Amino acid sequence: MPPQDPEHARWFVDEVLPHEPKLRAWLGARFPHLNDIDDLIQESYSRLMRAHGSGPIANPKAFLFVTARNLALNHLRHLGYERPAGMVENDCLTVPDDAPGVPEALTRKEDFQHLIQAIQSLPDRCRQIVTLRKIYGLSQKEVAARLGISEHTVEAQGSIGLRKCIEFFRRQGYGPGSPR
Amino acid sequence: MNDPISNSPETDAIDREAAYWVLRIDRRLTAAEQDEYSQWLSADPRHRDAIAVQRWGWEELDRLTGLQTTVNALPDPDLLAPSRKLGARKFLEFAPWLMAVAAAVAVGLFIRSEHPASETTRSPANESVAVPSYALAAPIEQRTLEDGSVIELNRGAAIETHFSAAERRVSLMRGEANFTVAKNPNRPFIVSVGGIEVRAVGTVFNVRLDRAAIEVLVAEGKVQVEQSAANVPTGGQPLIPLMIAGQHAVVALSPEAAPPQVATLSAEEQEQKTAWQPRLLDFTSASLSEIVTDFNRRNPVRLILGDPELGALRLSATFHSDNVEGFVRLMESDFGMRAEWRGETEIVLRKAR
Repeated sequence: MPPQDPEHARWFVDEVLPHEPKLRAWLGARFPHLNDIDDLIQESYSRLMRAHGSGPIANPKAFLFVTARNLALNHLRHLGYERPAGMVENDCLTVPDDAPGVPEALTRKEDFQHLIQAIQSLPDRCRQIVTLRKIYGLSQKEVAARLGISEHTVEAQGSIGLRKCIEFFRRQGYGPGSPR
Repeated sequence: MNDPISNSPETDAIDREAAYWVLRIDRRLTAAEQDEYSQWLSADPRHRDAIAVQRWGWEELDRLTGLQTTVNALPDPDLLAPSRKLGARKFLEFAPWLMAVAAAVAVGLFIRSEHPASETTRSPANESVAVPSYALAAPIEQRTLEDGSVIELNRGAAIETHFSAAERRVSLMRGEANFTVAKNPNRPFIVSVGGIEVRAVGTVFNVRLDRAAIEVLVAEGKVQVEQSAANVPTGGQPLIPLMIAGQHAVVALSPEAAPPQVATLSAEEQEQKTAWQPRLLDFTSASLSEIVTDFNRRNPVRLILGDPELGALRLSATFHSDNVEGFVRLMESDFGMRAEWRGETEIVLRKAR
């Protein structure tokens, strides 16, 4: 796994690796049926590093935990398990934290203005769905329960939200591979 | 479409499909969908490019994951609502209470119905029975009408407006509402409720529709209460020719009941009848137990202090009285507390670990 670029490697060691014991314990406690936690953690790392390599991340730890959780949920669904009983919607953000209420690595918030503005520009329903899915890391099913709408609606409105966000980015000249 | 960047309708359609596929891939495709997806991809070379762009965008948004890092924060779908731009900006600085926007609305026309009008009134609003539990914490809705009058709808309320050149008519179908009427002597403002009409020119008053009676409370100005024209085709005497500020009337819904009773209420009694309306609560070095008591008086959601010593905590802050979630978030983010929903109507605040 370790990233090639020395600066990224240092960031990985300082900001990401320290979370591994908690992430492992947390995944193990919540997904006892999961037997390939290592693969899942590696996949989460690689997604995190890919995102880190192309721009800032608001909260690496939350990114890591949410990614791992969503991978686990998808994996279990593939195996035919239903979600573990007693799991609440914001489980992923209730990970034990050393400093409650204080963001661990809140980078400069202007780095995210284009993303925040894109979400703000959406019609209400789309905006709510994208907010719950992306900022809170809720699954489609959890969003449906939270908003009292069908999963199908979440999917349809979420895809409209995604497309409109991209149109918003395009108007700002921001696209895949463009410098930020 | 005068957007210079958007493409032909055809590529728009491709983008739409690609975005939909990205969402479905995200939750994992079924076997059948997998086949369908492969076919779609190979049907047109542009499809693969479109998928790449939509997938890129979907992953870009992941950068915001955990943007609100408050431990145990209740997911707030309206975190980035444009009307709360201030809030959205402030939350980044971890001061969510500033979302409270002073809606300086006087105590206005106040109408309340505790039953869904009647069997004969087929209100489409009756569909909203299956509200999600979070709706309890939803703020009271405020609507500004075209004439500048303001209506605040209590939770579960439904209205219909019928404005013409001659009059401004609002029907309260269900629930409870508060009207602040913009003055216009040439265009009376009429609230139809349960077969009576409350007529105002430019004034502030309250009306409440109960199972058996309608209550009218005038906070400012004057109103007239009369039977609906449909009930009295010849146009009879007004039920109450004139009500003035501070007066409260009870009009029975059944025609054979006693005539309307009019009484004058104390300021305190008036305040009690309109306590549901959101207002700005301004606390200066108030104890948390006082603040919680004030919130609970005004909201169906009950805040409970799980650790008694929390009650002694003092703070100065301004909150919109219906912004329970914002308040709870603040307690979590800045005061080291943990909130736990107990059933649909109770939130317990405890010290975080």
